Amino acid sequence: MSATRPLPVDDDLDTGGFFEAARRHELALRMCNGCDAVLHVPVAYCHQCGSWENRWQTVAGTGRLYSWTVVTHQVHPAYPVPYTVLLVELDDHPEARLIGQLPGTPDLGVGQRLEVWFETIDDGVVLPQWRPRTTEEST
Amino acid sequence: MSTPELHHRDRCAIVGIGATDFSKHSGKTDLSLATQASLAALADAGLTAADVDGIIRCDMDNVRGNDLAHSLGIRDLDYLGENGPGGAAPCAMVGQAVGAILSGQATTVLVFRSLNGRSGRRFGQSPVEGARVGGAGSYDELFAPYGLLTPGQVFALMAQRHMVEFGTTPKQLGHIALACRARANANPAAQMHDRPLTMDDYLAARMISEPLRLFDFCLETDGACAVVVTAADRAADRPNPPVLIRAVAQGSLPDPQPGIQFPVLMRESITQLPAKVVAETLYRRAGLGPDDIDVAQIYDCFTITVLLQLEDWGFCKKGEGGQFVASGEIDLGGSVPINTGGGHMSEGYIHGMNHIVEGVRQIRGTSTSQVAGAEVCLVTSTPLPPGSAVILRAA
Repeated sequence: MSATRPLPVDDDLDTGGFFEAARRHELALRMCNGCDAVLHVPVAYCHQCGSWENRWQTVAGTGRLYSWTVVTHQVHPAYPVPYTVLLVELDDHPEARLIGQLPGTPDLGVGQRLEVWFETIDDGVVLPQWRPRTTEEST
Repeated sequence: MSTPELHHRDRCAIVGIGATDFSKHSGKTDLSLATQASLAALADAGLTAADVDGIIRCDMDNVRGNDLAHSLGIRDLDYLGENGPGGAAPCAMVGQAVGAILSGQATTVLVFRSLNGRSGRRFGQSPVEGARVGGAGSYDELFAPYGLLTPGQVFALMAQRHMVEFGTTPKQLGHIALACRARANANPAAQMHDRPLTMDDYLAARMISEPLRLFDFCLETDGACAVVVTAADRAADRPNPPVLIRAVAQGSLPDPQPGIQFPVLMRESITQLPAKVVAETLYRRAGLGPDDIDVAQIYDCFTITVLLQLEDWGFCKKGEGGQFVASGEIDLGGSVPINTGGGHMSEGYIHGMNHIVEGVRQIRGTSTSQVAGAEVCLVTSTPLPPGSAVILRAA
């Protein structure tokens, strides 16, 4: 990186659990204890059942490419172009989509299988990232 | 009329429009621009600041209502309103003015948007300022650390998905850029007035965020626009013919998203804009449909934004926007000429407000690309999380 990469605020009351799980190298989504609805983007209140009780639930960490863009016009010194932003639909919770980044201009297609990995940036901050799936597919 | 939502139909009017120059460097404060556009709108209406008792602003404006009241010397301010987020505001602000007037809270309302969008804060640049990004309900922490930083990148993800699902092509998007540019070439006030654009130019331009190229993007602009809204029965004796506000609507998709832009990527379909919902409400309130629209000013932060809205507003079927724009239907002489002043793409980006000004010009018959016999104009502010729109018509 040609400049210091901005770190996410990783202790927000609503979203911090995502980054806390990532530090353990786990991908977690906020889920309602009352009805198991996925609360994403993360919020404290479940409007589906009215519950304020929820948890950060570890999920599979596999998904498919929903869309992508190759960024070729640079707007921040820490993100030299070209790079590719991924929009990932999770296999086990398609109602939640997550973002990933790949360097350069990889050959991609919608529906392509992806898997999570964990990138340590700085100050102990860990980002869930995504790459083309290389491990054997489970049944 | 017994249905409450129809009570506002044709009961208010836009009686004044004003705009500053559109430039890359205004050399003026946002407040000066807002003041200048407001004075122009008041003069156009044959009114003075003494007649204004309401002001409505966009939530992303640096100018507060009381700032503008102070600058203009408005002494009897009874109503201050605000709408947003951002580009969802302009038509909603007009709707809010209608609500304030019909509920008796104000009689003459100034609606404005002012920004130094090129020499000041640029929407196309990274919003990341410090070492940390996000938190405090912004949700940026889930997006920006991955290099997803700008509205153009968000719309690029939407465009890519539309291309995969429906076979839409870059050249089809180019037709939207070309239509806006051709209208700007006829409009001396447009920033791209002297700059013709061909399809070869469009396709050869540098890629910004694939599949979006340079001319898929709007023009970051310094400038301001303002309109004056009053009751229809007070509008008749103004210098210019009143332009009736046929109906107004705001709306959000059934799964509303928070934030300003990034969380919309969680929508069930990212090729769906709030326009879909706003269209249903607005057409019902207006008693009109897409076939009744003579001319439309469609919010165009990017070409793809226009294409998605043309589908959502029922000018063509879902997925057929590409073929529709390539068929000439959005050009002068087509079934729904769009962005007749050049739009955000080629006139200037006043965050949806210049679309209302141009809509009024069409109904007055004073556009530089006048649609012959135009009596009904749709104006949309339906880009991201929620949206709004108005239908204007001749009295």
